[in-house]
Order: sequence, then structure tokens, then C-alpha cells
Amino acid sequence: MKKIHLTINNKSYHMEVEKDLRLVDLLRDQLFLTGTKEGCGEGECGACTVIMDGRTVQSCLVLAFQADESNITTIEEISSDGKLHPIQEAFLEKGAVQCGFCTPGMILSAKALLDKNKNPSEEEIRESISGNLCRCTGYNKIVEAVLLAAEKMKDGGTL
Amino acid sequence: MDPKYMMPKTLEEALAYLDQRGKDIQLLAGGTDLVIDLRRGKKDKDILMSIGHLKGLQFIVFKTDEVFIGAGTKFTDIVENERIKKEVYGFWKACKSVGSLQVRNMASIGGNICNRSTAADSVPPLLVLDAKLMMISKNGNKIISLKDFYEDQKSICENEMLYAIKFQKPKKGEGMGFEKLGLRKALTISRISCAVSIKIHEDKILDIKIATGALGKYPLREPAVEELLKNRKISEMLLNEALQKMSCSVEERLKGRSSMSFKKEAVKGVFKKAFRGAVKGAYGNEKNSPDY
Repeated sequence: MKKIHLTINNKSYHMEVEKDLRLVDLLRDQLFLTGTKEGCGEGECGACTVIMDGRTVQSCLVLAFQADESNITTIEEISSDGKLHPIQEAFLEKGAVQCGFCTPGMILSAKALLDKNKNPSEEEIRESISGNLCRCTGYNKIVEAVLLAAEKMKDGGTL
Repeated sequence: MDPKYMMPKTLEEALAYLDQRGKDIQLLAGGTDLVIDLRRGKKDKDILMSIGHLKGLQFIVFKTDEVFIGAGTKFTDIVENERIKKEVYGFWKACKSVGSLQVRNMASIGGNICNRSTAADSVPPLLVLDAKLMMISKNGNKIISLKDFYEDQKSICENEMLYAIKFQKPKKGEGMGFEKLGLRKALTISRISCAVSIKIHEDKILDIKIATGALGKYPLREPAVEELLKNRKISEMLLNEALQKMSCSVEERLKGRSSMSFKKEAVKGVFKKAFRGAVKGAYGNEKNSPDY
């Protein structure tokens, strides 16, 4: 067992973990943050995407001890006091959510993009979500949603 | 297998562990390949040693004409380096195509090489750059070629680890191209990849290096096609000759494999694109490059 310290959604956690525990399992099974999904378990679908130290990662490929002293954001963090984040609002307005399984990862990839680039082009958006597979929407609605989210956030909608 | 685990605080500490228990240690950098293998029980070393956090392995340094990249450098850091994009474009393009953005944020170039996958995207460009691997151990350092690394598994001692990759960056009149064919436009493993480095003067190919991935046991140079093209003037006809030669090489190499009939045709398209990309790079811009 290894003692680690992580900050998850602005909350500090001191934990003891098995060396082969994956971050996705720590989040879902130990902290009950089940917004992060496991799709393929092989880093090929992006459903397990979280933001670690400002960059998106596949939590199914990160061993929990590798996240020691990291700052992690999961989908649970981005809404606040029951109010949706502009990206979440945009996804709903544009019909970018069907089954919803890719959505947490998709939104976090969009957030990581918009945190660095407030005015992305369509090409930049498509590239930023190219690590997140969606079997339902055909991606166009998702791209429209991220464009709308960028507009909303420019108008001061950022949480 | 449930390995014991180590997380050295410094590179020196890591080398000391390797010196003591090298044969029992599995190195873990980004983990984007290894974590999957561990879960499938494919790795059987007793000890897992994490080195992905060691800043001493993460650097990109330009020294006159040479480039040094630390083995622990993440692909995102390579892709975000403007000098790499400008001065070693073919290599940059390959690094940008690795996995997905999320994978590139964790994956290291050292891991991509040491995983010994035939589909490793960073390796064909490194082969045409004649890149060298800088190995370190508690006892000292050594340099080996990528070719030797693949052909001779014993070239790496148990107490050694990959420290950095070094290569000469392309000069004026030299260009690099890279193309990858996968099942998707992104987030895809190479079915075929190709890197080309070319040196041109007045439409004549002074030197050419070609490497392919996923067309053999490991990424390979293509000497037969290189010989055909060297010292010849660029033309559509020459390119077609080269495409045929490449296709024949691949057919011979993959004889008996079910992928052969597809790959011997598809490689022509991939090579053509990589070749044209290299030529464009050598001429500096599209306007000056010959129309063929």
C-alpha cells in the first residue's frame, strides 16, 4: 500500500492505495465520484477523461499513485451550487447529449480547451475532442455545443 | 503478478535501484501502454519502478545542430515546442499523431520507444533522423543506435535505462515528411506509417532516408527504395518506380500474413504522401517544390 495525497475537485484527500489501483477506480469505487465513466479500460474511448494538473488524461490508464500531489477535476466539479456550467448548458441546448455516456469526458475535454483557448475554431474543437468517442451524436452537435459554450463564457458565463 | 513498487525521488536513486535489482524491475513512465499490459498480466517483473515524475528525464534541448529529448518527456510537451514544429516538422507531426490528446499528456517518448511496438509513431521519424539512444546506468553512459536497440534486445543491460534521444536536426535543403494510416483520423494505432527525410539540390535527390512502421516486426528503414531514389532527379515516373519497389518490399516481408495484400497496396499511398511532404519541406514552401 502507498500513502498518497490528491486534491480532487478542490478537496484534499490523504489515502492509502494499492499500487495497481487505477485512478478511475479510486474515483468511482472509493470516492463514489461516478460521473467519470469507464468505457474501454484501454485508453481508446475517452469516457474516463479527467483533468489532472490542467491537462486531460485517461483515468483508466493512470495508476492512483501516479496522481500523488496532483490536482484533479472530475465532471462533478464543474457545476456549482446546483447551477450548470455554461458548457453543460450548451450541451443540453444543442442536443449534444444522447445516451450521455461520453458526455462527462467530452465536457472535460471541452473545458480543458476553453480554459486555454477562449475562441477556438471548429477545427481546434474537433481536435480537442478527438480523444473522446461518441457512438450516438455524430459529433456535430457536440462541436456546435462547444462553440456555443465559448460564446457563453465570453459573455461572462464562466463559473 | 503483483509487483512491489518503487518511486525514486531522483534519477540517481532510480539508477541505484536498477543497479541493485535491475533484472526484477519494470520501469513505468507515463503508463499508457504499460498499465494495460499489467492488467492483462503480460508483464512479470517483481518490481514496478515509477520514473514518470522525474524532472531530470524531461527536457528538450537544442545545441547548435543537435536536439536532445529526455526519455521522460511527454508527447504534449514535444508537440507544444515551437522549435520542434518548425525545425523537425516530420518528427513533430508523428508525435502529434500518437494516441489521443489525453494519451499524449501522459505518454513519454522513452516509453514509446522502449515498448518496442512495431506501430510506435515516433520511431520511423527517429530512424530517418539517425537518432541515437543515450543509455545511463550507475556505472556510466553509452550510446546505441535505434536499429541496434530493436535488433538486439541484449543491447540494453539490466541496470541501464534510456536517458535521452538525440539527433541532428534537418538542415537547409533537407525536409522531413510523415504519414500514418489508421482506422480513424485520430485516436488510432498505425496500420502503416512512413517517415521520409530528403536532401534535394536543383530537383536532384542527394540523399534520402525512408522508414516505415507496422510493416514488420519493428519499425524499419527501407534500403531498397532509398537506393532506387538516391542521386536521381525527382519526377512522377521516378516516384512511381519507387512506389512499386516499396510495394514489392512489403509484399516480400509480409508474405503469408493476412494483411499483406492490403498493406502492399496501401503503403504506396502512405509513402507517396510522406515523400511529397518531405519534398515540400526541403524546398521550404509549396511554390518552389516541383509539380509531380
